[in-house]
Amino acid sequence: MQRKTLSFLLANSLAGVFVALLIIFVLSALLSPYFLTSYNISVIARSLAFVGLVTVGQSMLLILGELDLSLGVIGGLCGVVAGILMMSFGINPWIAIFLSLALGAGLGFFNGIMVTQLGLHSLVLTIGTAGIYGGINLVLTKGVAITNIPKEIQFLGRGDVLGVPVPFVVMIVVLAIAAFVTLKTPLGRYIYAIGNNAAAAAMLGIKVNRVRVLVFTAAGTLAALAGLLMVARLGTAQPSIGATWVLPPIAASVIGGVATTGGVGTPVGAILGAAIIAIIENIIVLFGVSPYWQGVVSGVIVVLAISFDAISRRYMRRDI
Amino acid sequence: MAFLEVEGLGRDFPGVRALDNVSLKLELGRVHVLAGENGAGKSTLVKLITGSDPAPTRGRIIIDGKDVAEDPAKFRFIAYVPQELSLFPHLSVAENLFIPYDRADFTGRLISQRALEREAKAYLDRFAITARPSDLVRNISVPDQQLLQIARASTNKHMKVLILDEPTSSLTTTEIERVFNVVRSFRDTGHAIIFISHKMGEVLEIGDDFTVLRNGEKVADGRIADITERDLIRAMSGSELSFEEHFRPTPPAEPPSGPPILEVRGLAGRRFHDISFELRHGEILGFAGLLGAGRSEVMQTIFGYLKARAGTVRLRGHPHTLGDTSHSVNHGLLYLSEERKLHGILPQLSLRENIGISILKQTLARFGISSRRERTLVEAIIAAYDIKTASMDKKISFLSGGNQQKAIIGRAMATSPSVLIFDEPTKGIDVRTKAEIYKIMKRLAESGVGIILISSEMDELRKCASRIVTMYAGRQTGSFDNATTSNETLIGAIFGSGSHSNAA
Repeated sequence: MQRKTLSFLLANSLAGVFVALLIIFVLSALLSPYFLTSYNISVIARSLAFVGLVTVGQSMLLILGELDLSLGVIGGLCGVVAGILMMSFGINPWIAIFLSLALGAGLGFFNGIMVTQLGLHSLVLTIGTAGIYGGINLVLTKGVAITNIPKEIQFLGRGDVLGVPVPFVVMIVVLAIAAFVTLKTPLGRYIYAIGNNAAAAAMLGIKVNRVRVLVFTAAGTLAALAGLLMVARLGTAQPSIGATWVLPPIAASVIGGVATTGGVGTPVGAILGAAIIAIIENIIVLFGVSPYWQGVVSGVIVVLAISFDAISRRYMRRDI
Repeated sequence: MAFLEVEGLGRDFPGVRALDNVSLKLELGRVHVLAGENGAGKSTLVKLITGSDPAPTRGRIIIDGKDVAEDPAKFRFIAYVPQELSLFPHLSVAENLFIPYDRADFTGRLISQRALEREAKAYLDRFAITARPSDLVRNISVPDQQLLQIARASTNKHMKVLILDEPTSSLTTTEIERVFNVVRSFRDTGHAIIFISHKMGEVLEIGDDFTVLRNGEKVADGRIADITERDLIRAMSGSELSFEEHFRPTPPAEPPSGPPILEVRGLAGRRFHDISFELRHGEILGFAGLLGAGRSEVMQTIFGYLKARAGTVRLRGHPHTLGDTSHSVNHGLLYLSEERKLHGILPQLSLRENIGISILKQTLARFGISSRRERTLVEAIIAAYDIKTASMDKKISFLSGGNQQKAIIGRAMATSPSVLIFDEPTKGIDVRTKAEIYKIMKRLAESGVGIILISSEMDELRKCASRIVTMYAGRQTGSFDNATTSNETLIGAIFGSGSHSNAA
């Protein structure tokens, strides 16, 4: 019976990562009296929301067998552009938000077109475009933040809905859509098929390149959305927004069961992975550990997670 | 006395007897030809002789008077040159020649580049390789690469037996002469050479002795001087093909009116040109040829996976758009690749998802894909194609090759195609499942689906095909009615000896 439960957890990586999250959650609650306060939970939820939006996009790309290292700077650039449109050009904030989302979509689309039409490796290409997009950000802002973002949109970053932070609600809605798309629609099946075996997917008549461009575009849009919510939260458009959104979403995806080789995992698992990272970072702060240790700790978590994954796969094979 | 002796050698793999009761004597100073069709057991035998597969199921190998089971060091006398190029493209010619360095007597921690290149020069001259020792291998010509591979094998100072596996497959006539000169010089310096080739002319010119394998068994051996090309081909193909149990579709009672199912005119693409044929109602059209003759390329081009350079395809009389697999699938033209792992299965997904990907139109409900509908339909396909699995949620990689193949056929059939192209559908599949797949093809053809069968096994084509198109080196060399054509004619056509046709 016990063995059966263990097999189920190993076979079902989503259940496994959920149990891991629960354990970490309970441990944190036992270790620190401040952890379960509503203020602290809302802090975690809010910080999870921004990186979570990028994680949803990045995890879909990873399932597809691709990767976009420019998502962080897309978020930063789109936030800054929204700020400039509102403050320097006096454009209606809602229109500015729309234009900035469209810009995010366009930048993601460009990455997708370059990868599919020139047959470039997405890792290499997006290192390059990350440099370009980040550079444009600095050219536009000269590194100075754009302040006095209109109050009317600040609730997007600071507000609550029934006590739940707005960015977190947005992230959950996006995640629900992504989960539906991946699990229940033909597009989702195509994403898994391409990530598993792109040649076989083409042989099945799937328009492989079209799907790839679409997912790159969606990921760029989500990165822009995260950047905009961050601008609303800070009340200023900081050029540095997105600087920490490059590696954590990849780490979160891997912890959550997404294979870097593609074809395996779910966005939900990736968000659970992101939650694990967020809680651990939070508990480090609560314990007053030097923030310099945060990188070490989240690195250790990633290494542990992928080791566990590799070991469980070996265990499964022996079982069969 | 023979330098290398093989006695009653056999090798079993799970479900397959790859080699059985093969005996062979190899003498120094002679060239021994090893002949046989694809899958006859040549590679299995070579792997055992070179020690790269150290576990014969039966029999023994004696090298230099000692059983290698007792003295594996004897394998050092054997050098093997594989058919595919296996050089390091980003290293220099000299480095490629002597890696691993200790084998070529370069010892010590530091290896002088100059000494390496000086030593290399001697080899290059001997093999008439025009490249310089310092050139990167990726920049030198294919014939030079081919010769460099042989040269590399010969840097093994212990070498007594040299095995060449189709060393001339990518060479032209003058370059082949260079290889022959090298082979003769090794023969004259007291080496034994095993020469594997599908080209009959070469075999007769360079060989002294021969052994023919078929279905893992030795079917003939002797001196080359005593035989003709015809004897050799007959031994390879086996003239006593049984036609009792065949799977050819019964032709329809009255010939259907209207255009043929598939009509290909003047098709050309990478590695093939000017292909024209038609696929008629109720028949299985076979495609015969050697590896690399271009059959898969032709079919992948018709399917739209590869780009066409010229030509037209008509599907049931309508012009068919080339270069778009999605268009082909939507119009019922499907291709099942020979490379099941590379082009067929989605390895990390379950059997259900692997089949489900092709029936999304049927399973899509208002709130997304209905798992209930999907399970019902997949269940029906598993039953109809007799796919053996514990559960439809099992990862497809854990199924046997035969069951994976049946799943792929079932998946294709779920879309009710009008043309189905099978590329080596029984590769690596046991005999019983083979027969099941033949029955499926026959049933489909009789129900009006156009079937094209590419196969390297002549036996398979003879059993299943109504007509056979032959190809050689990217050209169409004939089109034959299966029932009225001899094996010799067919084999001649796939080895490129002239153009024939006895059917329109």
